[in-house]
This record gives sequence, structure tokens and C-alpha cells, in this order.
Amino acid sequence: MNLPLFVGAILNGLATGGIYALMGVGLSVILGLLNLPNFAHGALYAVGAYLCYAAAAGPFGFWAGIVAATLGVAALGGLIELLGVRRLYGSHPDYVLLLTFGLSLMLTEVIILVWGPIGITFQPPPILAGGVDLGVTVYPKYRLAILAATLLLVLATWLFLERTRYGAIIRAGIEDRDMASALGINIRRVFTVAFAAGAGLAGLGGALMVPVRGLLPAMGSDILPFAFVVVVLGGLGSLPGAILAGMLVGVVQSVMTVIWAPGADASVFALMSLGIAVLPQGLLGKR
Amino acid sequence: MSVEPILRTDDLVCDFGSLRAVDHVSLAVAPGGVHCVIGPNAAGKSTLFNLISGEVPATAGRVVFEGRDVTGLPPHRLPHVGIARCFQRNTLFPRFTVFENVWVAAFARAGARAPAFVRRVGEFGELGERVRGIIAEVGLEAKTEARAETLSHGQQRLLEIALGLAGAPKLLLLDEPTQGLSPEATQRMTQLVRRLAGRYTILLIEHKMDVVMSISDWITVMSFGQVIAAGAPAEIRRDPAVRRAYLGARG
Amino acid sequence: MARPGRQRSLRHLAALLAFAAALPFAVRPVVAVEIWIFAIAAMGLNLIFGYTGMLSFGQATFFGLGAYAGGLLLVHFQVPLFAALAGGALAGALAAAAIGYLCIQRAGTYFIMLTFGFNQMFYFIAYKWTALTGGDDGLPNVPRPPATLGAASIPLNTTVRYYIFVTVVFFVLFAAMQRIVESPLGMILQAIRERPERAAAVGYNTKLYRWIAFVIAGAYAGLAGVLYGMMFGIVPLDAISFITSGDMVFMVLIGGVGNLYGPILGATGLKWLSEVVSVLWKRWPMILGAALVIVVLFLRGGLVEAWVRARGAVAARRAARGAGAEAA
Repeated sequence: MNLPLFVGAILNGLATGGIYALMGVGLSVILGLLNLPNFAHGALYAVGAYLCYAAAAGPFGFWAGIVAATLGVAALGGLIELLGVRRLYGSHPDYVLLLTFGLSLMLTEVIILVWGPIGITFQPPPILAGGVDLGVTVYPKYRLAILAATLLLVLATWLFLERTRYGAIIRAGIEDRDMASALGINIRRVFTVAFAAGAGLAGLGGALMVPVRGLLPAMGSDILPFAFVVVVLGGLGSLPGAILAGMLVGVVQSVMTVIWAPGADASVFALMSLGIAVLPQGLLGKR
Repeated sequence: MSVEPILRTDDLVCDFGSLRAVDHVSLAVAPGGVHCVIGPNAAGKSTLFNLISGEVPATAGRVVFEGRDVTGLPPHRLPHVGIARCFQRNTLFPRFTVFENVWVAAFARAGARAPAFVRRVGEFGELGERVRGIIAEVGLEAKTEARAETLSHGQQRLLEIALGLAGAPKLLLLDEPTQGLSPEATQRMTQLVRRLAGRYTILLIEHKMDVVMSISDWITVMSFGQVIAAGAPAEIRRDPAVRRAYLGARG
Repeated sequence: MARPGRQRSLRHLAALLAFAAALPFAVRPVVAVEIWIFAIAAMGLNLIFGYTGMLSFGQATFFGLGAYAGGLLLVHFQVPLFAALAGGALAGALAAAAIGYLCIQRAGTYFIMLTFGFNQMFYFIAYKWTALTGGDDGLPNVPRPPATLGAASIPLNTTVRYYIFVTVVFFVLFAAMQRIVESPLGMILQAIRERPERAAAVGYNTKLYRWIAFVIAGAYAGLAGVLYGMMFGIVPLDAISFITSGDMVFMVLIGGVGNLYGPILGATGLKWLSEVVSVLWKRWPMILGAALVIVVLFLRGGLVEAWVRARGAVAARRAARGAGAEAA
């Protein structure tokens, strides 16, 4: 195996891993706060990608696309929480899950109805096109940009959760929902905001991924299992764990694609299986 | 203690992060008696029970039952060793009837071998008899076919005990059996515990002092995770350290 | 939790037989075959979801693996019919044993996400390993050997004969499931669903029992998969798709969780619905998605509960009318 290929694969993996990390963090917040494995997370990512594509046709290009994806999907997430998830709070947790699964099917079908079933490719904006010479290899500028962007976003999310009052409220809610509510915090509003924020992250992830992998209606159901792997491998309830696991998953998948492409996806699951067999609580999980 | 204790904890420690819930607790339970653990709130009593029954891992120390180290055994092994746990909050099978609740608990010890699984539940005559006996023992015959979730709180507390008895244990861990009971129900529960003593060794956590004084052969007092006194009821009643622990700043 | 008396059981059985006899006249015979095939898979899911409380979003893994295993045995080794069925069931059971061991480590959400994840993994593998599975085109030329018992050999070359065979297999598996559910194992699984801490505290290794139930469900799904492959002579990729997993969950949900007849009602409901709809509209997942959303938001217990509730409401109204008449 030659070095430029290998280094390129690792850098690619870090870039996609950053997006997996974003997905994992969003999913982890929703899981931790609402105890809900959000089966619509992949579909929201897909909707974000397509919204970005639609908005990018306008005057402000890709940048408008990113904003539209994030805000649009966040709004959609808030709506889903208000109209659907909220109604099922008293009942068995399985039912909310089935709701999100049903919604994911519907959202994917809407995408097919509006944009058709065929995949679409997309070029990155001119300012980010082309490559950067890193000595060992020439690396696409766009992927470098994703890497930088996701690191910044991860940092921003961490700062928000650790250093702001609202972030503390969210962490408190994840730690102990009843106690937080007993302390007078309007826990229902926090839920809506958290779901919207998690959804927004998913939409943003989809938008960022567009120039890398293009668009395909099935992109949502393709990425969902990886988001689950990230959350499980990182440790349920651990946001740093989700970030670490996301990067790891991205790198493993990317490197395996170079070594033996058919085994790339399966190797991610092998990684997860190994991870939880050795560390049942995940890499950085508690309990 | 002249007789070999049936249960012994050696220097048990349990930390939750920086909080030490159980601080070097050593106690010994004599077989056949009623041994009460008392103490103000957050003394670590329930954590002690959780350590014994394996719900929570010990940071240090041992739990020895009938001479055998059982520290850290998973909860589902305890009944097979001879220890039954009754919880502070009613932990029943809500949609099972009283009969089914006790039956499934009894089957775990009496019949859970491969051939038994081929038969229908209704075909276990002997086990059914034993189950009815236990239900009668705790006084719930009238409610045998009632679903557990329809029982009153007091009846559920009794069912909780029946679930403990179902496994034919040697040691019963009762966590506040009279919790939430009216004075009449408390009386009945106290009488039940007295009836069970002798046949079973009973280690119980209790808050109601009159109950504690009337049924205990031995009392261990805990405060802030430590044992501050242990002895017969008369001694404990007179112990100034105990009074201080309960009355706190008022002294 | 009350078990129906002997009389009621016989009545239900008779109704079921009548239903089986009438079905091929009510829907297209191939749809009728599909109904029983999916009812078998749904029965397995009902055991782990309805009775044990574990929502598996990946039963298609075992359905698909069973279909491919049986299909490959039939195509490459020309095994007899029952060997193929056994092969599929075994494939499903073994896969469930391995995957189940990993998924069961922690409860609830962990389990659900992992079953879905593994389903997708096997889907990816099946999609890419075209030499073995045919990928998107499916595994073709799956024969349908005759049913041979001792000297007697009955060919199953017509749809009607295959329908009868599949129905017989269903009834055998139904009887087995009934025994399981009425045995102490069934009781233990329900106890684990009702209060896992209590089940452990009385002496049951809950992980072990959950695993056993998962393996049984995997076997049922695998066997159903082989029957599916023999239906059209091809194992399509969608046999292992998460949409098929979703179909099965939906069947158990609308049929009513935790009772033996639910899977049959659910399979019938779903297949009939997809028949009716596909004539009008190709986008089945949209319908499934919308149906799931509607059922979850408005019809929690499924068709069986709706039926029970409707009967209860009718009875209550009658009683009220009666009381009213007396008071008047």
C-alpha cells in the first residue's frame, strides 16, 4: 500500500468522521434527554442535504444551502417534537421510536417525489475546489474545510454544553430528567429545543456531505446505522465519546475502502462489536 | 456472638464517585433471628442491602454468607445461594395475578431445569400447592386471582414478601416492609415478620421505632455510612450516640 | 394474562382453519402464501417483542439469511425440502445467537439500535457480494422440491399445493409457539417484560432468557425466509432489507402485541393493504410510514386491542342502557 493513498484515506476518514461525530452528538443529545433512539435522524440528514442542494441553486450558492439546511431541518425537528413526539410522552418508549421510523420512511419518500430517485452529484463551491499540497499527498480543499468546520462545530457544541447556562440545563436534563423538572426548569421546552438542535446538526451534516458523496434518497437510511454505531461505540450518554467514536468510524471505513472496498461497511460493525464486547459501556461511557 | 453468623459483612465500602455511601461496615447476622438495621435518612441502609444482593458493586470489603464469599454475585444468583430480597418500593409483576407472581418466583428455585419447560404451567401440581401455601402465609388468599396492579399498597407489600418467601430462602432481606402502611396494616405486617422469624433469618431495614423495638433480637445503627452502634434493643434505646444521630443538631 | 379455556381454544382453532381455507379465495393465492410466510416470521418477533418486551428492528436479517442459506442449499446442493427448511432455520438461529449475544448486553434503546445496525450491515454485505447472493438482482432459480416423508412424495409445483404446504408448516409452528408461550418459559419471558429487576431478584438470568427468545425468533424468521425464496424461485435483496424488518414490526403492532393471533391478523392486514395500495401507487414505504405514524399516534394496541375495546364499549353501552331502563 502506498503512503499517499493511506494518508489520503486517513484524512478522508477524519473529514467524514467529523460529520459522523456531528450526527452522533445530535443523536446522543436526543437519546440522552428524551430517551429516544431517533430513527428519523438519517432522514433528517438527507432532508438537509436536499434542502442545501435546492437553496444552492439560488444567488448565495452553497453557503445559503448550509444555512437553509441547518435552520430548515431544525425547524422540521421542532415541529416533529411538538406535533408527534410530545404526544407520546406518557406511553411506552417503543412507540415514539416507531413514530420516528414511520416519519423517516415518509420523509425519504417525499424526497423521491420531489427530486426523483436518481443520485445527484454536486461540486463544491469554487473557493473550496481544488487541492492542497501537503507534501505527502495532494488533498482536496473541501475535505480539509469539512475537517476544520466539524472541529469548530464540535468545539462550539462542547462550549455550549459545558459553559453556558442553557447547556447546563440540557446536561442536567440528560442526567436526571425528573430532578431537572422538579427544579422548575421547563423541561418540555428544553426537549423541543434539544430535538430541534439535534435535527439541525443532522441537517448540517447532510449539507456538508453533499459535495463529498453527492445526493441519493437512500443516503439517510445508509448513514443511520453508522450514527447508531457512533453512539453505541462512544458510550450511551457520552458526548465526547460520540465525537471520538465518530472519528474512529470515519477513519476505519475510509481506510478499509482503500484496502478492501466490499468490507468497508462491515468492518465498521466489526469495530463496534469488538468495542462493546471488550468495553460494554462504550469507549467513554459511564456505568 | 456464640453461634456462627449466617451472614457477615467485612469492612464493606461503597463509593459513588466521591460520595462514600457505605463506610467500612461490618455486621454479623445470627441465624434464625430478626436483625434490624436502623438509622436516619441517607445512612446507607439501602445501599448496604444493594451491596449484599449484588445490585451495586462493592468498592472494598466482603459479604460472606454461610461461610462462602458472595461479594459481587449478580442479583439473579442470590436466591440460589439462599438469600431473598424484598424491595422498599413494590417491585412486582403488575399484570400477573398474585398466584402467577408467586408461581414464577417459586419456579426459579424449584423447577427451572430443562425438562420442566416442555410442560404447561397448569400441570405443576405440587408447585401450585406450595405457591398457595405461601399466599396463605402472608394472608392474601382472597386475592389469589387478582392482578398485582389492582392490589392496595398494603396488599402489595405483603405480595412483595411472598415473592421473597417463594424461593425458600434461608435469609430474607426486608427493606422497610411497613413503608406506607396504616397502623393496623403495620401491626399485621409486624405479626407476619414475627411468625416468619425462626424459620427464616430476617435482616430488615425499618424506620418505625416501635416496630423495631418490638421485633428485633439485634439492632445495628448506621449513620452517614458507618455503624455507630450495635446491640440488643434495650442497649440501643439507652445509647447516647444513637440519640445524637437521630436528633442531630438538637442533641 | 388469562389463558383461554379448552373450549375457547378449540373455537379459535376452528376459526383459524376456516380462515386458512377461505383466504386463497379472498386474495390472490400468492398473496395468501405470503401472508402465512410472514405470519411465521411475525410470530417469532411477537415472542421477543410482545412477550419479552424487546423491540427488534432487524428480523429481516434472519429472514434474509435463512432465505439465502436455504436458497443456496437448494440451488447448489439440491437438498431435499425439509433439509432446506432446517438449513434456513439453523442459519437464522445461529445468526441470532451471535448477534443476539452482542445486542442483549444492555436493554432497550441499545438493543433496538444494534438490531437495526446489524440488519443494515448484512444488507450491505448481501448487496455487494453479488457472486453469492446476486446482489440487487437476487438469487435466481431456487427450486421447489417435493415434500418427501418416507416413501410418500408430494410435488408442490402448483401455487395451491404450495399454499397448503405453507399453511401446514404454519400450523405446526403455531402449535409449537403456543406450547412455548404456555410453558414456564413463556411465563418467565413475560415476567422479564413486566419487571426485569424482579425477575432477576427471584433468580432468573434475564440476559440468558432474552437470548433464548431471540434465538427462537431468529429460527422462525429463517425458516420463513426459505419458504419465501421458494415462493417465486428467487431470493430478492429486499428479503434482508430494513423495510422488511419494518413490515414485520408493523404486522405485530397492528395485529396486537403479546397475543398469539396478532401476527396472523397483522400479516393479513399488511399484505392486504399492500395489495390494495400497490395497484394504485408504487410508493409502499410511504404508506407503511404513514400507517405506522397513524397507528402509533391513534391506535396503540393494534387491531386486536381495538377489537377488544370496541366489544367492551358495546357491552358497556348495553349495560348502561339496561341500567337506564331499570332506573326509568
